Amino acid sequence: MRLKARRFGTFYLSLFFVALYLPVLSVILYSFNASPSTAQWTGFTFDWYRMLFRDRVIVEAFKVSMEVALITSVLSAILGTASAVISMWVTDRMKNAIQGMMILPLLIPEVALGIALLIFFNALRLPFGHLTLVLSHSLFCVPYVYIMVQLRLKEIDRSILESARDLGATTWQTVRTVILPLVIPSIITASLLALAMSLDDVIISTYMSGPKTTTLPVHIFSMMRVGVTPKVNALCTLILVGMFIVVGLSQLFNKKQHKEDL
Amino acid sequence: MQTIKRNILAVPILVWIGLLVGIPLIFVFVLSFLSRDSLGNIVVQFTLENYQRVVDPIYLRVFLNSLLLALLTALVTLVIGYPVAYITANLDPKKRAFSIGLIMLPFWISSLLRTYGWMILLGNAGIINNVLLAIGVIDRPVPMMYKFSTTLIGTAYMLVPFMIVAIFNSVDKLDRSLLEASYDLGASKRQTFFNITLPLTIPGIAGGFTLVFIPALGLFYVSDLLGGGNTIFLGNLINTQVTRGRNRPLAAAFSIAMIIVALLVISLYSKVAKDDREGLFQ
Repeated sequence: MRLKARRFGTFYLSLFFVALYLPVLSVILYSFNASPSTAQWTGFTFDWYRMLFRDRVIVEAFKVSMEVALITSVLSAILGTASAVISMWVTDRMKNAIQGMMILPLLIPEVALGIALLIFFNALRLPFGHLTLVLSHSLFCVPYVYIMVQLRLKEIDRSILESARDLGATTWQTVRTVILPLVIPSIITASLLALAMSLDDVIISTYMSGPKTTTLPVHIFSMMRVGVTPKVNALCTLILVGMFIVVGLSQLFNKKQHKEDL
Repeated sequence: MQTIKRNILAVPILVWIGLLVGIPLIFVFVLSFLSRDSLGNIVVQFTLENYQRVVDPIYLRVFLNSLLLALLTALVTLVIGYPVAYITANLDPKKRAFSIGLIMLPFWISSLLRTYGWMILLGNAGIINNVLLAIGVIDRPVPMMYKFSTTLIGTAYMLVPFMIVAIFNSVDKLDRSLLEASYDLGASKRQTFFNITLPLTIPGIAGGFTLVFIPALGLFYVSDLLGGGNTIFLGNLINTQVTRGRNRPLAAAFSIAMIIVALLVISLYSKVAKDDREGLFQ
């Protein structure tokens, strides 16, 4: 009976994972299809990838996305970490206020937040482009860095901090020499996640893009609306490969951290 | 004095988020009460017209469509995701880590790609139709795209990892000795599940529900690509009002309505999960 239940469990799980990854694998597979239609498989080709690099709009959008994502992840790493570290010293009431403020952008539906920012930046007469994209993306990236760094800070033995103080370290010295080295792996993982989220955002970016600064996802979305073309498959596959390199890197840092913990 | 000194560093953080979230929200709120002149420009004149239109039968329908979609998405992800979380939590350590990895990986895969994957699978010239045609189950393509259910597949697929992670965390925290006690007292597996496991994982279910329901209200690109605009949802309506209709006050009113729904769901969550010491995002 137990064995039967266990077998069913494995079966259900396998079925779920097949369904979870089938759409993704289909996109990758058909990026190599010589025929422009998914109706038939007419042979293997790299043509669609070649076409991508010649498409100047795509290359330009890719540049914008990368610039925005890199600035956003660095900014989020700094602000998120600072908020988490500062939270260790403030009064409980202040700590709750920070926590509430951090979670706020994650609780508002993204469309509503996007519209709100659009109206706000419009009133301020900010030029739509890199600046508005970075500001808006940091809103949903900083909270994740904050949460991840804070989880790590909770694990730190309070007595280490007390010994640092007893040995005469100032607060700033404690932060720099004790706390930061311990949370660096979390900061890196979190800022890679921020990078991924910024690179992937469609909804808020739709409202934050300028006339000449469109991000890649916003452009891909407009391509997809026209219909299925292998060029989109190829583009998505490339982004997927890039993202997996990022995940690989973050896993590497995670592993290192766990080893140090042991 | 000491407390002021301790708290002073936190002020810039609060100002930063306050400036970028609080003030824009106030702007939306104010804008939702403003009217437009005959040219479509916004004029500073108080009106309730935008909110009257929210409850106008045509728009109310859009609202109900969205609530239905979000609710069904949450239910579908719960039914599919609960067993995944439960089975994964009971695997041996090695398999468990592998399973968790597979559940988390989609968070790193572009959400547009994941939506597009269904266009390729479900289209008239798509993979599923081709396979069915090839093995002779059907003799002409079955239309599967541009339906309410297609959008539901898309949103559920997009959000199921959130549900699983939320439930997994609460199944994982479950005190195993309670289950053993239940078996020792002669309860069957099914009785133990419904009397012990399920009630104790309700905070996880509520958390997953919240994390799925709120985004499902506004994923306009999923309903655009998979639903093809046949059923209009709140996200699409707001989006078209802003980008093409240029009726920002109406879009603002709908955004406020959407935020109110989100807040209601969150307050419901905090009622259900008030004993759970850990928050939604921990």
